[in-house]
Amino acid sequence: MALDYEFGEQGDQLRSLLRQLIAERIPAGYLGAFSEDPEDLAIAQRFCKELAAKGLLTLSWPKEFGGQDGTLWDQTVVREEMWAHHEPRGAQYMGLNWVGPAIMEFGTAHQKATHLPPLAAGERIWCQGFSEPDAGSDLFALSTRAVPHADGWRISGQKIWTSYAEMADYCFLAAKVPGADGPGSISIFLLPMDREGIEVRPISSMLGPHHLNECFFDNVWASPDEVLGEIGQGSAIIRSSLAYERVGIARYARCDRLLSLVARALEDDADAVPAALRARWSRALIKVRTARLLAYRCVAAQERGDKSASATMASVARIAVTQCDQEVAETLFQLLGPGVLQARGPDAPFFGAMEDHWRYAQASTVAAGAIEIQRETVARAVLGRPEVPRRATGA
Amino acid sequence: MDLALPEVAEQFALSAERAIVALGGLELARGAEADPARRADVLLGALDALGVPDLDPRADLESAATAAELVRIAGRYVVPFPVVGYVMAGPGGVPAALASAPPLCVDHGDLFARWSVCDFSGTSTEARPAGAPFSSRLAPFVTPLEAVGPPKGGHEGDVALLCTLWASYLLGVAEHALELAVAHVKGRVQFGRPLAELQSVRFEIADATVAVDGLRELVRFTLWRVAQAKEEALADALAARLGALDVTKPVLRVAQQLHGAAGLATEYDISVLVRHVQPALRLPVDSDAMSDIVFGALGTHGFATLFPLHSTEAGRSE
Repeated sequence: MALDYEFGEQGDQLRSLLRQLIAERIPAGYLGAFSEDPEDLAIAQRFCKELAAKGLLTLSWPKEFGGQDGTLWDQTVVREEMWAHHEPRGAQYMGLNWVGPAIMEFGTAHQKATHLPPLAAGERIWCQGFSEPDAGSDLFALSTRAVPHADGWRISGQKIWTSYAEMADYCFLAAKVPGADGPGSISIFLLPMDREGIEVRPISSMLGPHHLNECFFDNVWASPDEVLGEIGQGSAIIRSSLAYERVGIARYARCDRLLSLVARALEDDADAVPAALRARWSRALIKVRTARLLAYRCVAAQERGDKSASATMASVARIAVTQCDQEVAETLFQLLGPGVLQARGPDAPFFGAMEDHWRYAQASTVAAGAIEIQRETVARAVLGRPEVPRRATGA
Repeated sequence: MDLALPEVAEQFALSAERAIVALGGLELARGAEADPARRADVLLGALDALGVPDLDPRADLESAATAAELVRIAGRYVVPFPVVGYVMAGPGGVPAALASAPPLCVDHGDLFARWSVCDFSGTSTEARPAGAPFSSRLAPFVTPLEAVGPPKGGHEGDVALLCTLWASYLLGVAEHALELAVAHVKGRVQFGRPLAELQSVRFEIADATVAVDGLRELVRFTLWRVAQAKEEALADALAARLGALDVTKPVLRVAQQLHGAAGLATEYDISVLVRHVQPALRLPVDSDAMSDIVFGALGTHGFATLFPLHSTEAGRSE
């Protein structure tokens, strides 16, 4: 059958179950795990354990690693419902979505036994040690060094913009080893964050606490058992790992939910909305739908095993989704007026969800690959790779 | 979940494109201005040979998708014939057009003696040509019509299909415009290298690609939605037309801009696309007026979202 946009009975039941669980376990006004209130993180940690107990946390993982062999579309439902409701899995989504699968693909038996069961049980938070002060979009320019030591490795360097580093149990760390150049010099280390020599310093930001940190690695010891895959295989692991997360966060789902909340709140006053804003509102709904459909197109390509197409489609979807995120944030602000600027809490409109969304949306075109990088990826697929700039020749 | 078009529709599109290219592709539009009679002479026969008179987009999803693919191909070459209206006639019917308040104007309206014109609320009226085509550069064949029958309600399903088909037509236009721009910037050398190597150009092409890809998915989703929900999908279909307008206009602008002065010359295909698509962009209402129509429909019809837009539906989720 062609052209069918239903998730099917299984997908619909999964969505209903997740909404029911969220309604029962997550308090009204919950805006995510990352706040000044430690109870918000505790809620997320409890929720992860309950999802794990019900077999929902690692739904899409293979059964041999504690999953349910769920389909990519099941995973899509989970992503949509979680992000729509302010990601009640907190920081664990990253470990579930790509750290775990990367360990399944590249890890030793010992690494799988060490890391996968706690992830599947909802008990472990990971952070990602990729970006550095001089290696942002140009990730492979990183300068953190791993030097061979008698009994393993010694790692020194600085990571930055590291989300959840303060609360993380482990770091998926990229570092360069001596003896090679370029991407072939990068290796991945699975390091416990309580290892001596690691210091985390929070970076104050408009996103709120826990989102951005600096991590300093001062001669940190790593055992040979803590290298993921082969030495020098880091860039391939990173590319493969990020393929698990091609479509990324289902940002369109939160846009959809927030627009719906506002539509229901304003439904008796919709005619009083200025014409220009009504137009913007209509277009925002179309943008959300289009972004969702582009994300589905990428999932469908992944389902077919079409890696080449899914890579470009992922960048197309990311451009559409992140721009949609910012446009919806702006539309919501304009629809609700200045009261929306109030801080989160019971007195703020929608408990502050719109204010929270606007701040998050500003990061969407930067996080996990800046929109400029996504545009270049799309351009390469359509126009080819530009030649290296040439020197002028002749007189 | 299956995002692929029915194979029948894909095959039909290939046949339709072969037939239209064999007739000259964009040369049909260029030639029609010099010899307006060729429109019917050439294209009626070609469409009949493809079996279009037996195609009824109301029948089922496969037929609707086939019709959408036909009009997408028509859009790629801005075929000088009312293909959307003709395919909406269905077996034995009269061609259909979207119309708003008088004056009624339909592109290529002069080619048929009788029309069924539908406004966005689903009220249909029989109409006939009431004057000569505009003969302007942007609308050579737009023809005024006059209503000749009583208005009849209840045609929301036809309006939904018409909007979806027009969105597919505009998808074809936008696809071709982007292809023309890509070919031009890859071949045109300035400052010692192809324009395609300049980042500003690359980013514009990337953004246009995202827009066109998104419109393609939107059209497919709307086809499914309209086949599923019929008149209940009116807001979805109106939104598809608005989405198509909002994509096609900037994509055309960028594509023409990237051609430089050549983009204005009739010899260049982008110029023909830009001129001949104008009626489809402006009739019966342009994008800002369309957004108001969409907003009104959102208040009275469903709109397929993950979370309900209306409080009466909110009991089923949240």
